[in-house]
Amino acid sequence: MRNWIFALAIATLSILQVTLLDYLKVFGVKPDLLLICVVIASVSLELKWVLFFAIFSGFLKDIFAPGAFGINILMLPLWGFLTRQLSKKISIDNDSRRMVLIFVIVIFNDIASRMIFLFLGNPSISLGIFLRIIILESLYTALVSPLVFRIIKLVFLKDLEETI
Amino acid sequence: MIPRLNKLNKKNIILAVILVFLLLVSSSLIPALRIPIINNLKYPLNFLTLIRREAGGIIFYHRNLVENQRLKKEINLLRQRLNTTEEIRLENRRLENLLSLKQKASYKVIAARVIARAPDNWSSVAIIDKGRFHGIKPGLAVVTYLGLVGRVIETATSTSKIMLINDPSLGVSGIVQRSRQEGLVSGTLGNSLIMRYLPRDSDICVSDVIITSGLTEAYPKGLFIGTVVAIGDEFSRLSRYAIIKPAVNLSNIEEVLIIAP
Repeated sequence: MRNWIFALAIATLSILQVTLLDYLKVFGVKPDLLLICVVIASVSLELKWVLFFAIFSGFLKDIFAPGAFGINILMLPLWGFLTRQLSKKISIDNDSRRMVLIFVIVIFNDIASRMIFLFLGNPSISLGIFLRIIILESLYTALVSPLVFRIIKLVFLKDLEETI
Repeated sequence: MIPRLNKLNKKNIILAVILVFLLLVSSSLIPALRIPIINNLKYPLNFLTLIRREAGGIIFYHRNLVENQRLKKEINLLRQRLNTTEEIRLENRRLENLLSLKQKASYKVIAARVIARAPDNWSSVAIIDKGRFHGIKPGLAVVTYLGLVGRVIETATSTSKIMLINDPSLGVSGIVQRSRQEGLVSGTLGNSLIMRYLPRDSDICVSDVIITSGLTEAYPKGLFIGTVVAIGDEFSRLSRYAIIKPAVNLSNIEEVLIIAP
């Protein structure tokens, strides 16, 4: 039951990501709520569910995004899996550690996805724009992540108190 | 007896004169004194009014509470009505402008609403509420009454994705309206566009208006793209570029027109 509620949370946040979040842009950049969801799943659910939710999040993201379909379906499970493995070795039980983790994941995710886009023949963007987006997005996502954690915990997953 | 009466009369007359004099003096002084006196009395008056109001508040607490709740409901209702009216007014103005463009344009246009945006920060894409069913095809130009917005990149039955002109993947052939100098306009993912491939000796200056050239088949000639805000040399020094402020504020478009052939 909890897993299906989490799926509902992801669906809700994906709608927020493409609608209301545009009003909360900072210097034209918005946070990646779905990536935060994947990290939440990684530190609180079983691996099979982590992969399921990561694919589901990637699928929703790819639906709204332009260009090659499937990049996020590939990338998000990868980050989910790596976070899951990392959480076995390092304790990711407080906000500051999760924020650092999300900051790093967003940077790697952006670099990897841009490289795939370039490989697929999309035009390159200037280094200044690239750095501006990558730094702002990672910072913004990391900063809003504690809030998203709490909202998901309160609204959707009340019994996650012990795990996250 | 008469001398005593005379003495009283004299006294009365003197007293009456003094009284009249005092009245005259005070009547002329009162308006001048009123303001400073009231000013000095303001604090005790306020204090008394406060006590009276608080006492009244305590005595009529329940009546005030009920009235307050009723008024709050009324305010919320009125605020809601005001918001709805304002929204309708703004929508009406935008649609009037769209209709005006629709009437002026010689090509067929389809009006649509923007319902979503791209989930990431690496592209500038919007989703509209019209699709193949309404005659929209990939490649069609998208405009507002202010100018060029972008082009359709994907269509579904009842929705379409449009790529906005500030996306780096989109290139539009543009010309300087004044000098007819050609260049390629593309996006920077920010609030500005860049016009590239301008020769070193190109006739372009700040405040020049950039319009579509018509060389790109999808975009009719003469659509307003934006205004030049800065000019610079490319790194190779072989050509120049111009930074353009788009005619349309791409961050808050709500309704668009799709130009159909």
